[in-house]
Amino acid sequence: MKHKALLNKVGLWSATAAASAALVIGIAPITAKALTIPTEVTEEGKNTYKKYCSPCHGEEGKGDGPLARSMLPKPRDFTRGAYKFRTTPSGSLPTDEDMYRTISYGVPNSTMIPWDILTEEQRTSVIPLLKSFSEAFEVRKPEAPVDVGLEVRPTEKTVADGKKIYEEKLECWKCHGVEGRGDGPSAAEQEDDFGFPIKPFDFTTGKFKGGNSSRDVYLRFTTGLNGTPMPSFAKELTDEQRWYLTHYVISLIKPEETSK
Amino acid sequence: MKQLLLLCAFFGFLNWNVISSEDTLADNYTEVEVKDGGTVVGNVKYMGDLTTLSLNLYAEWELPEISKTATEKLIVSMVNHGLKYAVVSITDITHGKKKVIPTIHPIIDQQRNTFIPHVTAIISGTAIDILNGDEELHTVHTRTIKNQPFNLGTTYKQRISKTFEYPETIKLTCDLHKKSYAWIVVLDNPYFDITDKNGYFEICDIPPGTYKFQVWHEELGKLEKEVKINPKETSNIEFIYSQY
Ligand code: HEC
Ligand code: HEC
Repeated sequence: MKHKALLNKVGLWSATAAASAALVIGIAPITAKALTIPTEVTEEGKNTYKKYCSPCHGEEGKGDGPLARSMLPKPRDFTRGAYKFRTTPSGSLPTDEDMYRTISYGVPNSTMIPWDILTEEQRTSVIPLLKSFSEAFEVRKPEAPVDVGLEVRPTEKTVADGKKIYEEKLECWKCHGVEGRGDGPSAAEQEDDFGFPIKPFDFTTGKFKGGNSSRDVYLRFTTGLNGTPMPSFAKELTDEQRWYLTHYVISLIKPEETSK
Repeated sequence: MKQLLLLCAFFGFLNWNVISSEDTLADNYTEVEVKDGGTVVGNVKYMGDLTTLSLNLYAEWELPEISKTATEKLIVSMVNHGLKYAVVSITDITHGKKKVIPTIHPIIDQQRNTFIPHVTAIISGTAIDILNGDEELHTVHTRTIKNQPFNLGTTYKQRISKTFEYPETIKLTCDLHKKSYAWIVVLDNPYFDITDKNGYFEICDIPPGTYKFQVWHEELGKLEKEVKINPKETSNIEFIYSQY
């Protein structure tokens, strides 16, 4: 339950952020009140990271901690600045809030648990440290979050239109499979930017790594998952078409599979 | 300094200690007027065994035999051993002609699951347009750290424009057609050229002096040579890769 509350909070924040993004570039975000994220590496951050994160992510953030060895998916190597779950465009660094969200929510289907056993201060304190592991944060800044329009009401028609996009226009099935089981013709040969094999997501399981809300799904294929073959389709669709595709992707969830 | 300011405007919201740090901008090139510059014309050759190059990527293309090359990775002229798609540059030049950023963007097109051209060399700050000429889905995926990477799904006739700010050698791939890829070589001074199908290149308006010339090829690696440039003279140089 705690989860939901947190998601709502962050979700609400992000919605505001998207709306005001254009205005706040360069100025301290108005929303900073909702969540205070330190800008400098602190002792608390170092201690929290060492104790809870370095066993997997490694002392220097290279994803090579003692527990990482036999793990797949691998703990993220932070040195490239490639973050999967973002509100920002393809290739952009994540916002601090994106990172906070992943840390709090965890990554389903991986060993990355929701770190809600830590206090909000502890979770925010590691963010500057994670950023300090990558040169990318020195030379670039995250772009403004992408616009997410008002959700279209899901109907049979929106799902049918989404199916057309999935199967004909954007050919998602090449990786994710016609039924969304992650078994398309190109699925077997996919690898991530770190050279490890990676499977296109199996939608039937319903346990989306980046969150299960329609907004989450919309964001995933709009921004892409950096560091993976999952591309951004930002240039290909109108806002309405994105919701159609979102509704179709969600319709691929098989209730029997999710209860497993 | 002018470039520094320009970059600041571009990255308007970067903080100051980043902007003023030297190494992140690699801004050690000064533009001057070059009056009696010299020219280098040259040839890059591959003298290795040509029979080992078996894969014929252009097999299905309706092209005359002579223009079908052995592999996209290593394109060698059967006539003079000239090596195509090698990038020749001067690595230690600190001042010289103006950096001209082309207003017409160079194009990389995906046609029949192949990136064309295979290698593009540009000056930092140049935008490249990436096109999809096939009636199917492609992706364009880079993995850079300094230049912002990208991974975009593109459909027929899509045109994506990307600007490359930092000198890096970048591999551009499509995750749906793994056989084909392209290279984007971003350089920080305007003294470079890419070899043609017979291995020829030309670099002009070089202020007199002695410089390190380097050639880079994706399969064969790098070679270096020091060359003295005399005012208004043309020097000939040759780079030779032996068997690899
Ligand atoms: C038991 C191992 C483990 C521990 C401990 C762990 N992680 Fe992770 N973490 C992972 C794995 C595995 C992934 C990659 C999941 C994936 O990509 O599917 C990951 C991914 C991440 C990501 C990447 C999110 C993205 O958008 O790509 C962040 C951020 C992160 N972890 C932060 C942390 C922090 C902060 C801690 C400590 C509080 C921590 N992790 C502790 C295993 C771990
Ligand atoms: C080149 C192969 C490829 C194509 C094409 C592709 N995907 Fe993906 N997709 C992936 C991979 C690989 C992942 C898993 C990344 C991971 O686990 O970190 C993924 C993940 C996702 C996710 C995130 C699921 C989660 O766990 O949160 C969504 C949503 C998604 N894809 C939707 C789509 C849609 C919609 C399309 C078509 C418009 C599409 N994908 C096309 C490879 C692809």
